[in-house]
Amino acid sequence: MTTYTEDTSTAYASELPVRLRWAEHAPAVYKAMIKLDTAARQGLDPKLYELVKIRASQINHCALCIDMHTKDALAAGESVERIILLNAWEESRHYYTEKELAALELTEAVTVLTDGFVPDEVYEKAAKHFEEAELAQLISAIAVINAWNRFGVTCRMTPGHYQPGQHA
Amino acid sequence: MSALSAAAKKGLGDPALAELVMIRASQINHCAFCLDMHLTIARKSGVSEKQLDLLEAWEEAGDVFDERERAALALTEAVTVLTDGFVPDEVYERAAARFTDAELAHLTGLVAVINGWNRVMVSRRIPPGGYAP
Repeated sequence: MTTYTEDTSTAYASELPVRLRWAEHAPAVYKAMIKLDTAARQGLDPKLYELVKIRASQINHCALCIDMHTKDALAAGESVERIILLNAWEESRHYYTEKELAALELTEAVTVLTDGFVPDEVYEKAAKHFEEAELAQLISAIAVINAWNRFGVTCRMTPGHYQPGQHA
Repeated sequence: MSALSAAAKKGLGDPALAELVMIRASQINHCAFCLDMHLTIARKSGVSEKQLDLLEAWEEAGDVFDERERAALALTEAVTVLTDGFVPDEVYERAAARFTDAELAHLTGLVAVINGWNRVMVSRRIPPGGYAP
């Protein structure tokens, strides 16, 4: 795969500088985030987990997180089509299982809290496909990626440098 | 999550400001449990009633909030409402001018983690009033 960084013949815009290397300035916070992330993913299907992470990162416009989780998803065997269509999953339902769709719907509702609460029908649909412990893990995973997105965007962590499995 | 909150709060080193930030994010995310909890802690930490009353309209609240608090609140709002766009340079720079890099990293962490708590509590519809200091 040729990445844009290897393509020197095209005059791309210059890469924005990182605002703040937050993990170096708040190492205890970074460590706690890693622990939380590890705890949140327990019991969740790795492919579903990456779909949830990519979708929240799309909504929150976190470039680093989209770069990272798309690469991790591909490395985990995810299909290119499912990643491409994720931004329009509602109209691409036949690419996903009902369980994945319920998780994506919950991801959106939980990510966009500013527009209102998590609707009953969205929660109930997820509760139908996920048993309680798994649902708790899913909600935690959504909360954690929302936190990562906030670090990524605020500190303007630049995309393009992540290698799959780098933080594994 | 609790360890994360504690680490962020400790690193910021300003408990009253930490509560203002967490209350403001919880207002934006409509988290009843979190509002109840952090308003209780804020009152116990000596945050003034006037600040708590006017927090939602801090921009128009004159000198009730100092410039450092205002910079932190502006950043809190931008970082909480990511869906509308990125964190604007002027908002980031305003905060960067009043906080050290380490304080800023912890402040960002605090906003990130309260956003995490808001999501867990709203999703699970945890009612307010359950928090005891």
